[in-house]
Amino acid sequence: MPAVRRPEGHVPFKRKLAWTAGILVLYFFLTNIALLGMQADGATDLFGEFRAILAGEHGSLLQVGIGPIVTASIVMQLLGGANLLGLDTDDPRDQVLYQGLQKLLVVMMTALTALPMVFAGGFLPVQQSLSLGGLAFDSTQIQALMFVQIFIGGILILYMDEVVSKWGVGSGIGLFIIAGVSQRLVTGFIQPADGGFFYDWYQIIFGDVDLAGDTLSTLLLGEGQILALLTTILIFAIVVYAESVRVEIPLSHARVKGARGRFPVKLIYASVLPMILVRALQANIQFLGQILNRTVGIPAMLGEYNAQGEPVSGFFYYVAPIYSPQDWMWWTGEVAQETWMVLIRISIDVTFMVVGGAIFAIFWVETTDMGPESTARQIQNSGMQIPGFRQNVSVIEKVMERYIPQVTVIGGALVGLLAVWANMLGTIGAVSGTGLLLAVSITYKLYEEIAEEQMMEMHPMMRQMFGNE
Amino acid sequence: MDKGQNSGGLMSSAGLVRYFDTEDSNAIRIDPKTVIAIGVMLGVIVQLLTFVS
Repeated sequence: MPAVRRPEGHVPFKRKLAWTAGILVLYFFLTNIALLGMQADGATDLFGEFRAILAGEHGSLLQVGIGPIVTASIVMQLLGGANLLGLDTDDPRDQVLYQGLQKLLVVMMTALTALPMVFAGGFLPVQQSLSLGGLAFDSTQIQALMFVQIFIGGILILYMDEVVSKWGVGSGIGLFIIAGVSQRLVTGFIQPADGGFFYDWYQIIFGDVDLAGDTLSTLLLGEGQILALLTTILIFAIVVYAESVRVEIPLSHARVKGARGRFPVKLIYASVLPMILVRALQANIQFLGQILNRTVGIPAMLGEYNAQGEPVSGFFYYVAPIYSPQDWMWWTGEVAQETWMVLIRISIDVTFMVVGGAIFAIFWVETTDMGPESTARQIQNSGMQIPGFRQNVSVIEKVMERYIPQVTVIGGALVGLLAVWANMLGTIGAVSGTGLLLAVSITYKLYEEIAEEQMMEMHPMMRQMFGNE
Repeated sequence: MDKGQNSGGLMSSAGLVRYFDTEDSNAIRIDPKTVIAIGVMLGVIVQLLTFVS
């Protein structure tokens, strides 16, 4: 598998920023290029409400966004977490295999995501005719052409991520998620049309919105969007606060007296990223429903869909996540379903997110070498020890085992709960709770990373200490 | 602090795709500039073809 070249030696911070910015510009450029051969009207986004976290843009070259990468990652996490791969990620030969397998999976997933989008169910309707320089294409050929474009776009995303990971700051995936969510958030605030927060308030103040009916409901849930604003701000605050909640394990150096440190086990130890995997799992179930519904049709027990392509009852309705207050606030009269159906859907969503969040957090910690065993080894190798305990890997591991698994599960479940709660109350710009959680925590991580980079720029000696070069 | 020791632990911020230091010596190496160039070219070509069609 072709790979992006690694930089030789140290890349100056400014150069890193330049690469990151370059990729970001390219990303926005590509999201604005419409697919050749697509008919603009009549297209429905297969990703639907999941678009906010899967990045990309419907009908553009980046149609698939990071969807295939996330799906491939789920497979890798499950295989790795359950130790089915049989690869030791400390062994250089297995590392090569792991990376190759990872890329191969992404390529396969890109094809698997793009195929039904183009060929099944009319998610991307084709133009009647297309002629390029005298060559006339029929509809099947146009579809093939569109598939090629989407496929190349998907592969490009993979390599753009690799460029950022190796030459830039943070990761490409994180960058694309932040880009997508921020764009929606800003649009949600300032767009000069219905749905824009400031525009709607302008209208409310100047009496263009009818407040005669249920004033409170209009201000809170309707045009006023007060609830969404509060949720958005609260999520920001909670995530930034939770990042600083930690159990600190004291460390001291075995030989150098007075050299002390702490190993922090954060509340969100596994970071928020496992959450995207849970959501992607839900997304893939919904895609399956959409595709089956559009192509072969499914019995009512499995799912019935309305004109907008949203499931209204059956299995696919119950497993669909709650996206907005309109999906569940049965007392407002906007929900078409019975109350008990809504309650079942809420409980399934909460269970899925909490349990899924915890499980994927555990897998995440295992596969990214943040588990008790790996951290104990890292601490031992650095010559540190826990004061009052023998300097021995298995002893450190025992101490780590008291904290890491518990904190991981609690953190994962908490993040899952937070995501559902934010979705239920709504967010500005419909970025979804998960999208907001991801964006805030990735930005926070990015900030930490930039701070570390800057410190290394200012004190070249630090580089040796951090062991980067 | 902790960061000195767990160079592996920092992977968590690296994202969903993991890249290791070791690489297949037989693999084709792509320059990062090539990735950006291909991206720009893809966009420009598709846009131009849309105009002419």
